[in-house]
Amino acid sequence: MFSRIVKKGSMEFVCLAVLVSLIPAIASAQYQPRDTEWPSYAADTAGTRYRPLDQINASNFNDLEIAWRIKTDSFGDRPEYKLEGTPLMVNGVLYATAGSRRAVIALDPETGELLWIHGEHEGKRGGAAPRQLSGRGLAYWSDGKDERIFYVTPGFRLICLDAKTGQRVPSFGENGIVDLKLNDDQTISAWNNGQWVPDLDTGEIGIQSAPVVAKDTVIIGAAFREGMTPRSMRNNKGYVRGFDVRTGKRLWIFHTIPNKGEFGYETWDKGSAEYTGNTGVWTQISVDQQLGLVYLPVESPTSDFYGGHRPGNNLFGEALVCVDLKTGVRKWSFQLVHHPLWDMDISSAPILADITVDGKPVKAVAQPSKQGFLYVFDRVTGKPIWPIPEKPVEVGNVPGEWYSPTQPIPSKPPAYSRNGVSIDDLIDFTPALREQAKEIASKYHLGPVFTPPTVSKLEGPLGTLTMGTASGGTNWPGGSYDPETHIAYLYACNSCIEPIGLVEAPKEVSDLRYIAGVAGREVQIMRGPGENAGADSPKPPKKRPASQYVRLEVDGLPLVKPPYGTITAINLDKGEIVWQIAHGETPDVVRNSEVLKGMNIPRTGQETYNIGTLVTKSLVIAGEGQVTTTADHPRGAMLRAYDKATGKEVGAVYMPAPQSGSPMTYMIHGKQYIVVAVSGGPYSGEYIAYTLPSAGE
Amino acid sequence: MKKLIFLLGSALIVSSFCVLRAQETAATRSVWDGVFTEEQAKRGEEVYHKQCASCHGDMLTGGESAPALTGGGFQANWNGLTLGDLFERIRKTMPQTKPNTLTRQQNADVLAFMLSINKFPAGKTELYRQAEMLKEIRFETKKPADKN
Repeated sequence: MFSRIVKKGSMEFVCLAVLVSLIPAIASAQYQPRDTEWPSYAADTAGTRYRPLDQINASNFNDLEIAWRIKTDSFGDRPEYKLEGTPLMVNGVLYATAGSRRAVIALDPETGELLWIHGEHEGKRGGAAPRQLSGRGLAYWSDGKDERIFYVTPGFRLICLDAKTGQRVPSFGENGIVDLKLNDDQTISAWNNGQWVPDLDTGEIGIQSAPVVAKDTVIIGAAFREGMTPRSMRNNKGYVRGFDVRTGKRLWIFHTIPNKGEFGYETWDKGSAEYTGNTGVWTQISVDQQLGLVYLPVESPTSDFYGGHRPGNNLFGEALVCVDLKTGVRKWSFQLVHHPLWDMDISSAPILADITVDGKPVKAVAQPSKQGFLYVFDRVTGKPIWPIPEKPVEVGNVPGEWYSPTQPIPSKPPAYSRNGVSIDDLIDFTPALREQAKEIASKYHLGPVFTPPTVSKLEGPLGTLTMGTASGGTNWPGGSYDPETHIAYLYACNSCIEPIGLVEAPKEVSDLRYIAGVAGREVQIMRGPGENAGADSPKPPKKRPASQYVRLEVDGLPLVKPPYGTITAINLDKGEIVWQIAHGETPDVVRNSEVLKGMNIPRTGQETYNIGTLVTKSLVIAGEGQVTTTADHPRGAMLRAYDKATGKEVGAVYMPAPQSGSPMTYMIHGKQYIVVAVSGGPYSGEYIAYTLPSAGE
Repeated sequence: MKKLIFLLGSALIVSSFCVLRAQETAATRSVWDGVFTEEQAKRGEEVYHKQCASCHGDMLTGGESAPALTGGGFQANWNGLTLGDLFERIRKTMPQTKPNTLTRQQNADVLAFMLSINKFPAGKTELYRQAEMLKEIRFETKKPADKN
């Protein structure tokens, strides 16, 4: 561990500086967050990403200037190019995770001055972690006296820090640490020399999302490596646990794969619940603190695209589960996808919304998804607000696979992004481009949402061409929600194509019968950050000329037609789309295309899957996920603001790199700030804070 | 003394001119000028599949954890920069689990493979292994008119 207080080199000075701003909080018995602060990853535990601030508005957004910026290169032994964090700002201090160490930093929110830094050196365990780098953030707790920061290290340790000093709180867990690989109702294990054996260092489990704190409980889910090409049908399970914020004692656990005798166990035929793993909650968890209910968005079971070793519906895979905050006991659940085969992990925070439907107030939960459906339920009972009927879907013919003949498809709201591929979706700037696209698409199986994967064959199909699966629709940044107008704002990738083909797995690669792959190509294990690419790597590939690489593009242009990425406003009282816009400058490759020269192409938006939105009193704010170079700005990306009532763009400011973490906002000493994480390509991670010029400037 | 100053001044102007000329010359080279060989790209392909494909994908299309190394998004990221910038990014940070473990030759070969997949033309000379030399080659996504 290292913790450093860096301001003036004097601990007393820092404590004093922070304590001064604490005085109002200490005066009250219980800490109550203010709406000028950002005390939780998504602004609150309802997943809204909303603050009712309006100093920065349509009239002045273009005037924003950089208040401060901090590069994260030094917060780890190598720079990071995938900074996904959203900071917190509470009680006059800004906190964030940063750098390849996943360090925690405390900053002065007005100047960006570093107040303290904390990091954990985890050695082999950190190096073997399935989810590395800086993660998405942290959680704050206070009783009005103590202030604590919680985060999870890459090596899956829950750390409790004193928010004033960055030092671990000794009374929490063991010297400020709870080892999350222990006390998990399973023995975390790994494959070592062909044996499944206990191993705390390399046993696969971790998390990159921010913990959530509700009342006096901190809740932690679990994440794993990418699940397209697992080594085995057996893996560790992604249970969810609640811990006491004061002591670190485990309060409850929820088995996302039920134990024998528990509800849902019968949905795993042939004893497959015993060995199947994953099924974690890797994204943000939401909590209704008044009702005392927790909403768990659960991911796919092992493996993403082949479920032949787990026959049955596989609860709680890809289910939204409501559990009690105090006990973890299930209240209700709704499986969005039966027998998951498409990597439709529920990928973002459930949005808790108090809405009015047919004149009646309803406490609702709205769940955005990769598949472009917004699933809306009564969050007390789990009953759908609008019917979600089971509809027949295509049954595939992959040997050994088990298929659900139906899937639940919401009747309202309508899908807000593409979730299948048809000829009509293909590029159509010119008839010639459409014909070329059809030629490429003819090598694949096409169909609407829930069209199953195919075995990849050289003679065709190479696989199923899907959208709204692994990286489509809304991913981890999630949506935003305006509690005053009852409108949800959802970014979606509307062009993230995923070809899903299956190949027989070589025995030396995996014990699954099929894994993701393409006929005629060497099986390639897909790995996440941190996995040692040298160990157990497949045999060297057969040489082949580069011309054999099939690219899902036409003349360098995307295979499907615009819009490539959208923001959609949905009225949750009515279940209707209010507006939808293309988000993001038209990519260079389209604007500069020789084939399209002379054509007037409206803004297309961008093919990016990880854009988060921020909602204020009057604006929806989101950055671009791709770099462009235009006549209006040098190479870089824009942070854009839209009138939240109409979707009309009202301003934009320059960022040197794409938005890679969702924006947040706060107000301190009469000034509003917007902070956003940028990184990617040649640009290493940086948090940038924008504010308006001071009066008189 | 005045003469000396004049001579020094003249030398400075001449040398500045030379530098400018050199930069001008360098600035005319881009990825469209056949800056790698097919043989080098083939070597790079082997390195890529052993060291890079597990995160960036068999087809260079990226994954959940790693960006695509082909297509519009990738090209826009590097458009206007130099191959030296891209080479240094690879050299310093890749492979993610053990950065700076590939040789300069391997890094240059992987870069050649990436260029070939992105449909930049091969030529008769191999890519340099020195970042400072690669900084003289611009990454330009748009094909210059005189290369048509």
